[in-house]
Amino acid sequence: MSNNGTPDLSEQGGGREAASHQAPRPFWIGLLVMAMGAIWLYGASSLPQGARYAAVGPGLFVTITGAGLVLLGGILVLQIWRGERFEPQDAEDAAANSPMDKRAFITALVAVFLPVVIMPPLGMPFTATVAFALVCRAFGSRHLLMDIAIGAVLGSLAWVLFTQLGLQLGRFFPPLGV
Amino acid sequence: METFAFLIDGFAVALQPHNLMWALIGSVLGTVIGILPGIGPALTIALLLPVTIALAPTSAFIMFAGVLYGAMYGGSTTSILLNTPGEAGSMMTALEGNRMARAGRGAAALATAAIGSFVAGTIATLLLTFAAPAIAELAFYFKPADYFALTVLAFTSVAVVMGTSRVRGFIALFIGLALGVVGIDTMAGQPRLTFGMMQLLKGIELTVVLVSLFAVGEMLYVASRYRKLPAKITPTKGLAWMTREDFARSWKPWLRGTAIGFPMGALPGGGSEIPTMLSYTLEKKLARHDEFGKGAIEGVAGPEAANNASAAGVLVPLLTLGLPTSATAAVLLAAFQNYGLQPGPFLFTSNPQLVWGLIASLYVGNLMLLVLNLPLVGLWVRLLLIPRPQLYAGILVFAMIGIWGVARSWMDLLIMAVVGLMGYVMRVYDFPIAPVLIGLILGPMAENYLRTALAAGQGNPIVLVSTPVSATLMVLAVLFLALPPLLRRLRANA
Repeated sequence: MSNNGTPDLSEQGGGREAASHQAPRPFWIGLLVMAMGAIWLYGASSLPQGARYAAVGPGLFVTITGAGLVLLGGILVLQIWRGERFEPQDAEDAAANSPMDKRAFITALVAVFLPVVIMPPLGMPFTATVAFALVCRAFGSRHLLMDIAIGAVLGSLAWVLFTQLGLQLGRFFPPLGV
Repeated sequence: METFAFLIDGFAVALQPHNLMWALIGSVLGTVIGILPGIGPALTIALLLPVTIALAPTSAFIMFAGVLYGAMYGGSTTSILLNTPGEAGSMMTALEGNRMARAGRGAAALATAAIGSFVAGTIATLLLTFAAPAIAELAFYFKPADYFALTVLAFTSVAVVMGTSRVRGFIALFIGLALGVVGIDTMAGQPRLTFGMMQLLKGIELTVVLVSLFAVGEMLYVASRYRKLPAKITPTKGLAWMTREDFARSWKPWLRGTAIGFPMGALPGGGSEIPTMLSYTLEKKLARHDEFGKGAIEGVAGPEAANNASAAGVLVPLLTLGLPTSATAAVLLAAFQNYGLQPGPFLFTSNPQLVWGLIASLYVGNLMLLVLNLPLVGLWVRLLLIPRPQLYAGILVFAMIGIWGVARSWMDLLIMAVVGLMGYVMRVYDFPIAPVLIGLILGPMAENYLRTALAAGQGNPIVLVSTPVSATLMVLAVLFLALPPLLRRLRANA
């Protein structure tokens, strides 16, 4: 494993230097982790670290997690700088090493973010229909009307079934007051 | 022999008609999601949680147990017939199993997997039956410092063992820990990291994070790298079932796999990946037939048994100590908390009906799954004909419904989207997912133990290693950091 294993802190061969220069260096991940840690440290700064009787206040654990993230993010940046390589995970139906299909990804991402805005005013069944059709599109389906129909049936059936089971899903279609 | 009496009471609970029905529903659902890509047992249980809240806890947990075991049966089916292991635990099965299938011995491979799973599941459940009360008895004497040391051990082992890099494992863990502090602090009643937003006061729910990471993250990932290959199912019809020789070659690997899987599953960070790998390596070393790599039945029998036994093993720390060691165990712990129950030594005395009903239902579920899977495998495999676009769209819709149903909060949907995007990034850059969930659910518990222990010791940190148990566990936690080089060597040999 030592000749082509995944590099880590302890195992940095000079021979890979040349190859790693061409590989992308996702410094932003490490920086993002550090930024998250910084937010948590900032949040902890307004909390008491100690307490009169308990020795430990509500802030200590927040400080630990924030500091941990900053430290680990820093180590990751260092690893990336030294040429750490990242191999996408395997998943069913996905080719890990194929290039990213940006258009499909963004369509799917819209399906994920859109509900935040349209779920409260337009209700679950409508939102489900839109999200369903968008994901089908992202996966290359060309039958838009069919997907909308399936999504609408699925969303409506799920709404009726889960409401029967006692789940609070809100109104069926709020704009019409039903 | 008190245990026997409890177990018989447990069977009285598990064999009630409505509980049998829930076990059947769980087993069928588990098999289905084990076969379908993109959805696993942890995600399924998380999505079922809001629906089952109206159900009695005993019935709900009996159903969850069916899902848990069923998913493993389903997972081995796809590994063997399609060479697509749905989860880490069935990766080793695919190695020999798929070669057997291609050589026309698919039916035998499926049979040894199913019977092996049944044998291992039953023996492991038996071990659980006797080990769990004994450990629960010990845990009565645990002090907060001991529990804190235990959670620290769980943290380091999970971060180190899962995934390829220690740094990335720890980053995943700390993200979970950080998300866990959001909301009202239970001990001082102070809001933390809410930035004045009402919706964040209740904290970030494990189910929301789990569903986002698994369902949304996976969907985004597959969408971006979708491989449009028609599923090629190796036919099993009219093929030879297990011969007498196959049985003779299978029973020892079944037992060895169980012996490896159960204790490894019970250890923090053990999971199902390492025991199945160990079992495969062991069978390969012991093999007298020079068949490994060409479809050796031992290579299916051993890992399958190890996989099932480790799932029962995972229940030991969960039920006796309240310590989850896998993503599925984390969501089961969340389910207990939803019902206001805290797994641990007291659960055995306060809720014997639930604990023993659950354990008894594992025996029942195993039997059901054997009956469901052996003759009906051809039917289950048809599920793979569901077109992928509609399948993944359906997964997102159900994830959304599950999250919206928790509290009807747009904030939860926003968390879903952001954490889902994080799940995508974690897949592309190979960060392990499970440590996030373990950190999120165990973090607040660890903090409580830490603060209770320190308060009792007047703030002197020495109190954290003052008992023999806590000192030992802390040493183990540190040792775990030295484990990865060893594992890497193991992986290279496999």
